[in-house]
Amino acid sequence: MKDDVMKTPIPVSLPPLATGLIAVAACAIFGWLFLLAESEVAVLGLVLLAVLAGWGAQKTGLSATLGTAMHQHSGAMNGAIVASLLAVIALLGTEHFPLLMLSTMLLYLVAALGLNVQFGLTGMVNFAGAAFFGIGAYTSAVLTTHTAVPPLLILLAGGLIAALIGALLIVPVVRTAGHYSAVVTIAFGVLFKTFLEVNEVLGGPQGLMVGSMNVFGWDFNNGPVLMGHEMSFYVNYALLSSGLAILAFALTRRLERSWLGLALDSVRLDETASACFGINVVRAKVLAFTYGNILAGIAGALYGMMISFIAPNSFTFSDSLLMVSIVLLGGLGSLWGSALAAVIVVLVPEKLQILQEYRFLLFSVLVIAMLLFRPQGLLPRGVRSYFPGGRAQR
Amino acid sequence: MDIGLLGQYLANGVMLGTMYALVAVGFTLFFGVLDVIKFSHGDVLMIGAFTGFTTYLGIVAIGIENPWVALVAVLVVSIATTAALGALIARYLVLPLKSAPPLNILLITLMLGTALREGVRLFYPDGSNPKAFPALLPTASLELGSFSLRADSVILVSAGIAVIIGLNLLINRTRLGLAIRAVAQDEETAKIMGINYTMIVLVTFAIGSGAAAFAGIMNGLYYNEVNFGMGLLLGLIGFSAAIIGGLGNIYGAILGGFLFAGLQTVGAVALPFASAYKDVFAFGVVIALMAWKPTGLIAERSSDRV
Amino acid sequence: MSEVLLEFEGLAKSFGGVRALDGLDMRVKRGEILGLIGPNGSGKTTSFNVVTGIYTPTSGRVRFDGRDITGLGARKVYEAGIARTFQRSRLCLDLSIFDNVMIGNHARVNNGLWFNLMNRRGLRREVEDGYARARELVAGFSADLADRMFAPVGALPMIERRRIEICRALVSAPKLLLLDEPSAGMTHDETAQLMDDILAVRDRMGDLSIVIIEHEMGVIERLTDHCVVLSYGRKISEGSYAAIAADPEVQTAYLGVD
Repeated sequence: MKDDVMKTPIPVSLPPLATGLIAVAACAIFGWLFLLAESEVAVLGLVLLAVLAGWGAQKTGLSATLGTAMHQHSGAMNGAIVASLLAVIALLGTEHFPLLMLSTMLLYLVAALGLNVQFGLTGMVNFAGAAFFGIGAYTSAVLTTHTAVPPLLILLAGGLIAALIGALLIVPVVRTAGHYSAVVTIAFGVLFKTFLEVNEVLGGPQGLMVGSMNVFGWDFNNGPVLMGHEMSFYVNYALLSSGLAILAFALTRRLERSWLGLALDSVRLDETASACFGINVVRAKVLAFTYGNILAGIAGALYGMMISFIAPNSFTFSDSLLMVSIVLLGGLGSLWGSALAAVIVVLVPEKLQILQEYRFLLFSVLVIAMLLFRPQGLLPRGVRSYFPGGRAQR
Repeated sequence: MDIGLLGQYLANGVMLGTMYALVAVGFTLFFGVLDVIKFSHGDVLMIGAFTGFTTYLGIVAIGIENPWVALVAVLVVSIATTAALGALIARYLVLPLKSAPPLNILLITLMLGTALREGVRLFYPDGSNPKAFPALLPTASLELGSFSLRADSVILVSAGIAVIIGLNLLINRTRLGLAIRAVAQDEETAKIMGINYTMIVLVTFAIGSGAAAFAGIMNGLYYNEVNFGMGLLLGLIGFSAAIIGGLGNIYGAILGGFLFAGLQTVGAVALPFASAYKDVFAFGVVIALMAWKPTGLIAERSSDRV
Repeated sequence: MSEVLLEFEGLAKSFGGVRALDGLDMRVKRGEILGLIGPNGSGKTTSFNVVTGIYTPTSGRVRFDGRDITGLGARKVYEAGIARTFQRSRLCLDLSIFDNVMIGNHARVNNGLWFNLMNRRGLRREVEDGYARARELVAGFSADLADRMFAPVGALPMIERRRIEICRALVSAPKLLLLDEPSAGMTHDETAQLMDDILAVRDRMGDLSIVIIEHEMGVIERLTDHCVVLSYGRKISEGSYAAIAADPEVQTAYLGVD
């Protein structure tokens, strides 16, 4: 929310809502330009502009105003954000590649929100995020190819299978703490990819084809027609990914702002004390772990259908680390932070192809710097307010 | 199954076990002095192997042909490099985060591992392809029926075990080891007793990382290949081994290393039709072990003070 | 209803070879404030940890409110009506005052998944109720704190944190409150204020029993109705403060002379 490109002309006296709406519009225009930018110079310029705008927004107090707007007028602001997301998709219309990138980013965001509940709220780092994402993708590959299960249900199945396989890890993950639980998920992440590579049934290193999404007879391989113009078929996926991301965001927000979210926080901060105050630590961990895996699985299932071809190489340990990086860069427990970081981690290297090759290196160095100098992340999480506009003032 | 094949498996298992134990001992040392996990350990090992490889190329370039001279040079340069690297990591990445949540150190070193790995892949000449590591040891072998015992394997295992024993003596019998154990026991008291805390931490990291370089060279000599990704799996295996053994316990690390190698070997023997599954099997067992004994086979000292 | 609320019977707990508790017998009556004193390492905090289910005792029984709660587990013990504070303050520093107090109320709110995610109106009502309850409790200690219910705890001075810890322990209306060295890390004046607070709490909640571990003998003298002295995991003396202060065995234990 900070890359407001029109920061300077805004008079400070504007009410928060107006400022907020202008900022959302500015972000939308920025996003549209960014996704369409062709030359590397243009992309670099836009990245620079965003960094400057973000820095300026902090300096001028604009980000605080935006925070107030989000808090006091959450309905209007959220509506505006959804509307501008749809507008960007409509404007991109026939552009295959930008729409694919946007959808990929949104699906990574869904997975990252799940990881944020595990890691940011509950303190359980899951180093197998890409594996659970991959479980969803492979579920959709198998089900679309071999069964007639309606694809919308396959999304749910992807989440369910991810949760079930995650359940196998629950005992060690819940019983162990800290680095011991890290070894469990790391081992699982590596095991999963090795398993896919040696397993002939699931296509081995070559991977599998995935059938397309189909909602009530509407095949997603057809481009929708809007006012006589046929649009890219990726518009379908962009819309569905947006829907999924909005749903996941809203649900995660509700979880965070509830008694359950409080219990998760308490478990992260002090397990022993939590138990002494009647919090069921095991239930909290199982809930968070399963919730996160379901989100990753669902996102992976749709991702598989969208790119129509999946291979073990998309679900490596490095990809899992990239997902953890999204959570860390954005800020632990900060949902908007995850959104911003998903943009940075997924979109920027896609747009700057020179960076694509270097992305693991780039983001690992970025996370190292972040942990050293700004451990709270780009958009640090604030104090919990249970209801938008409620008593909870920062 | 015939005896020869079994012997081959056994020899291979002992070789792997020695390597894993060397890596695991590093994890245990770091955890002992600082209660931290330095996950870049495996990639430091890879850096050691690549440094060794580069040193070899340099030695050949200046016209020295004697494999023993080359071997010594390779070992010295790579151990010194990784020891320095280990100390630098401790100084600039680990110590500054000591008061942060413990997970942050795991994360920062994981990320550093990725950075090292990617750095070699991208910036080492043709770094994304495996490199043929030279055979610097005599390859004569003793044939016992269908089982052949190769001299290089014997030398590697003996050297590896000698290093482990040496490390153990260093920790348990020397003044330096005493200081390391004092810091591991109680940082504050050690400081009061006049032990240079920072120095001991750096030295410990240097020792552990040097041992990793040794394991990396061993790995290169045994498989005649090094590649940028070798550290990830070896590091993970070493980490698992240290954890299975119970962190902070040097015997636990050795036990864990051999146990893991044993699991892989059993996996390969029991599933001959699918020996590719041996890693899947071994990691599966690690996960199961963690479910059964959440703090390792030799329990870590209890830490939660109320 | 029996007069005794909490009873230890031959309670023992060993760590490796060390006997932290060595056959401790002790009773806490309803409504009394009992002081638990003894030199460092005499087993005071261990006894709290055993009662609250953090440790399982090696042998012996704990009876609470007519029920055997030995080895019940921290959560169940809390639900039975025992709440505590910790020697080193264990608040969640990143969370607000309200959040910290509500952690103590966790067993009394609806923790259903559906309720929390979908029943916005119901949750809102519970949050409003919880807020009123937490605010009232905090206001009983400090009106200023009650006006800052959504401020993060990390920014507050020690005495305020102690107060919030006590509120967190009291919010579920326990029958027994265990205070582990409430004066630790506080100045003399702050300690005096906190003592007033504790006495005020007792007056407000008539039937609440309190066990307090303290090194400050001034605190013990002023607050307690009855004292138990521990040494090496055993009870070596009990009685009123005046009685134990005069007990030569207690003096020996403290001064370490034979």
